[in-house]
Amino acid sequence: MKIVKSGTVLFLVAIIGIVFLFFFGLISGDIDTNFKDVYNALFHYSNEDINQVIIREIRFPRIVMAIVSGAGLSVAGMLMQTLFQNPLAGPYVLGINAGSSLLVALGILSGVGFFSTEIGLIGSALLGAFVFGLFILFTSTFIRSQISLLLFGVMLGSFISSIIAILEVSSHAESLKAFMLWSMGSLQGVSTHQIPIIVMVILLGCVLSYLIVKPLNVLALGEEECRLMGYNIQTLRVSIIFVTALFAGTITAYCGPIAFVGLAIPNLTRMLFRTQNHFVLTTANIIFGALFLLTCDIVIQQISGFILVPINALTSLIGAPFVIYILIRKVR
Amino acid sequence: MISIENTSIGFNTHLFSANGICFEKGKVHALMGKNGIGKSAFLRTLSGLIHPLEGTIQIDGKEVSQYKGADLAKKISFVNSVQQGVPYLTVDAYLLLARTNYTTLFGKYSDEDYTCVQEAKSKFKISHLSEKFTDELSSGELQLCAIAKAYVQGTDFILLDEPTSHLDYSNKRKVYDLLVEMAANENKGVLISTHDIDLAFKFPFEYCLLDSNTKEMRKITSMNEIEVEFSS
Repeated sequence: MKIVKSGTVLFLVAIIGIVFLFFFGLISGDIDTNFKDVYNALFHYSNEDINQVIIREIRFPRIVMAIVSGAGLSVAGMLMQTLFQNPLAGPYVLGINAGSSLLVALGILSGVGFFSTEIGLIGSALLGAFVFGLFILFTSTFIRSQISLLLFGVMLGSFISSIIAILEVSSHAESLKAFMLWSMGSLQGVSTHQIPIIVMVILLGCVLSYLIVKPLNVLALGEEECRLMGYNIQTLRVSIIFVTALFAGTITAYCGPIAFVGLAIPNLTRMLFRTQNHFVLTTANIIFGALFLLTCDIVIQQISGFILVPINALTSLIGAPFVIYILIRKVR
Repeated sequence: MISIENTSIGFNTHLFSANGICFEKGKVHALMGKNGIGKSAFLRTLSGLIHPLEGTIQIDGKEVSQYKGADLAKKISFVNSVQQGVPYLTVDAYLLLARTNYTTLFGKYSDEDYTCVQEAKSKFKISHLSEKFTDELSSGELQLCAIAKAYVQGTDFILLDEPTSHLDYSNKRKVYDLLVEMAANENKGVLISTHDIDLAFKFPFEYCLLDSNTKEMRKITSMNEIEVEFSS
């Protein structure tokens, strides 16, 4: 259709942008490197060359995390918005990220060694995201109003933050530090050897999202229409929460909370592509989500000489006004 | 054919019972009755959205609850009395959604699906709305699109809950004419609930009354019985 054709140009531009920024991010930084260093670091790595070490161990994992986190959070946001038929829904607003944080906090601050290991951390983050996702889903069956559900999510978020604050006060210095570092949110917390597993999980989430585009398209019309088309609405809802938890949990576990990407990008892509076709929307969210967070990361790196900006702060600075703009448009 | 035996209808609590009622293909059946008597509950029961409290409802010899979801959706379509437009969903895309059960894994539509939509649009004279977003339509336009969508779904039976409630007089007549023609020419079984009694009796429908005194569903042939029901 027409929409897809004009959309192809947008996709191409965005993909070229991602490729360009990917290499730009690998080459530029505090220490100047050139294209040959990048090539060697990726394909003929030698850990004796300091430039190659910087590229492979510092810049490469950070940039890959920006790409996969941006893509994953955006698709997760789209899933939530379609599930709740609410353009302002998202894993962050509805307290799903907070759920991850709570379980990670409980784990780390309990002082039990296992929960501070990589598997323990991811496990608690995923479980937290899934459990709180189901909780919101359950709540949504009797809170019908869109705004009330959002407020409920925000309240849930504050409630969890308070519990975490109490946990922090009464915990040991060492585990507190581990948790504080995590909770600041950073794309730099991942090392190169962890990249394959994270990329695999996000890819799995993307594949699962593509597998449910058909019911998602019908779900945009409402749950009743979905049942009339023969879909089992309970199975579908739980599947959507599962995929969202996979994205939000994994990304929260490795990068800490990153706000507004999952809220702003799905709205942006709907405005750009003007469609409810979830095949197009999923693709658009993957590409534009990746481009957005990658751009944020590059900007942060470029201005790091003058001012240090946490990634979570920058996404909020851009995302919050955009969401307010959507709100105003909706009210009008 | 839809056949109903010793059935109790209602959302959780009994509203009315129906026994030995049949709805054949090739005809438009008009369901009448007072507000709250259970017309919507009945249509929802037939479409599988809610279950009968007691008794059996068979579509073409098979119990409604025995159908798999997607198979039932190829047999019967239901149009709600209230429609909600969706932002960024064009009328074309909306109509195509009715073809979901005929598409591939990722929902790619075939030429046949597009042909169905074209046909429905010209039948219901909504071709000029093709590229409009459904949340920008008037409630009457949206209602026409919803009926067209049920037609696109290509089912043997089409259930419409007050399909003409938002339409102007000429569109009401147009829709009724189309339903009669559809039933006769394409051998579809059409069930509508309606409050447009005077108009409905001008069309060759089969009439069915939900009697508020006996709490029973029965077929009727004359307008007198309707007048008795609604004068009390």
